[in-house]
Amino acid sequence: MTFTDELYESARDLWDAQAAHPFVRGIADGTLNPAVFERWVRQDYLYLAEFSRVFAWAAARADRLESMGWYAAALHLTLNTEMGLHREYAARFGISVSDLERETMWPTTRAYTDFLVRTAADGDLADLVAALLPCAWGYVHIARKMAAGERPADQRYSDWIEQYSSDEFRLAAEWLRSEMDRLADGSSAAKRERLTHLFVLSSRYEWQFWEMCWNGEAWLP
Amino acid sequence: MSFCETQQARIAPLWDRMLNHPFLLQTRDGTIPHETFASWMRQDYLFVEAAIPFLAALIPKGPASHWEPMTQAIGALIRELRLFEERADAVGVEIRGSQPSFTTHAYIQFLLATAQNASYEEAYTVLYAAERAYHDSWKMVRDGLDRSSPWWPFVENWAGPQFAAYVAYLEVELDKLAAEAGPDRLHRMVEAFETTVRYEVAFWEMAMTGEGWPGIPSADPALS
Repeated sequence: MTFTDELYESARDLWDAQAAHPFVRGIADGTLNPAVFERWVRQDYLYLAEFSRVFAWAAARADRLESMGWYAAALHLTLNTEMGLHREYAARFGISVSDLERETMWPTTRAYTDFLVRTAADGDLADLVAALLPCAWGYVHIARKMAAGERPADQRYSDWIEQYSSDEFRLAAEWLRSEMDRLADGSSAAKRERLTHLFVLSSRYEWQFWEMCWNGEAWLP
Repeated sequence: MSFCETQQARIAPLWDRMLNHPFLLQTRDGTIPHETFASWMRQDYLFVEAAIPFLAALIPKGPASHWEPMTQAIGALIRELRLFEERADAVGVEIRGSQPSFTTHAYIQFLLATAQNASYEEAYTVLYAAERAYHDSWKMVRDGLDRSSPWWPFVENWAGPQFAAYVAYLEVELDKLAAEAGPDRLHRMVEAFETTVRYEVAFWEMAMTGEGWPGIPSADPALS
């Protein structure tokens, strides 16, 4: 059993809850109200900007050239390709670029991205990868399950499944898993426990992100 | 108006809501349930602990004239931890080894992400807003709380003259930083001020409701 297999087992409840979440099921069968999905489009755009920052920290923290190059490429892909696609995708829901730019973070987006950035800045590379893995791997995990079934009639949801189940995303998730296994190799039990905590915490935030999009969220009061 | 006065005025309704939060009103009136106050103590203990690396991370970013006051502020945080421990022992509350609630976790991540990722001016804004919020909140409590209350030492700590002088110093320094900041940075400082106060309100709310983490009780969020 690899370390990332162990991580998956540690967070299995949360991953199962994500797959069963009504928001996720709504994408899979195409019944999700587009007005509800729009919340994801808006909040995820803000999330991706911070996720890019985490890749930048990873490139700076990398312990070998191969990893540095990979993180630099992931940063470029996220910031310049994926966010560009996100803007085009948002337009299909009638959301303009200026709408996206004006959006403010809801509490869960704020907390999750602050957690990622803080972990990237304060921890080592293994901590950083453990924290970002549930997003990079989790989306592929969910989308590939969806892709195995019948595609939704709404082309926008079908394209979402297509993107996150694509070989490009799958290979990225696999590379990150192997990187996590490499970084955890030979580490102490205490270090593995910390990495597991970070992985579980991010998995929890992933679930909470779907929950936030499903219910809507606001700052108090 | 100075930067600090302007921010205070800009979010006045939010600030008032914070000062009139039921947690503070009930603490002031001596009607707060023991367990509710204990729950706040456990969470704030975690927050004070996390404020130490927050301040420490700011030292190399700030002007040399801020280093010594910032170091003294860390010393004050350590004394606050001892105060929490002493009060907890006195009233039979176990505060060590607690897990952060969602709001505590989120607020701590906000502090530490800001320290590492935002400008010194933004982080200093967060520091001032949080300390000012506590000073004003506990002054409000002081106005009604009986001196024999077990919670009075917290009033003495945050509403007392030493803390007042510290907050006044932070205000002067923040106003100086704001006067030198360009429009983009200033805009971010304004946002940082408001987000901090929103977290302060959420923190009292969390203390009052005993909120944990949303959903999925089986997973362990045991990391601050």
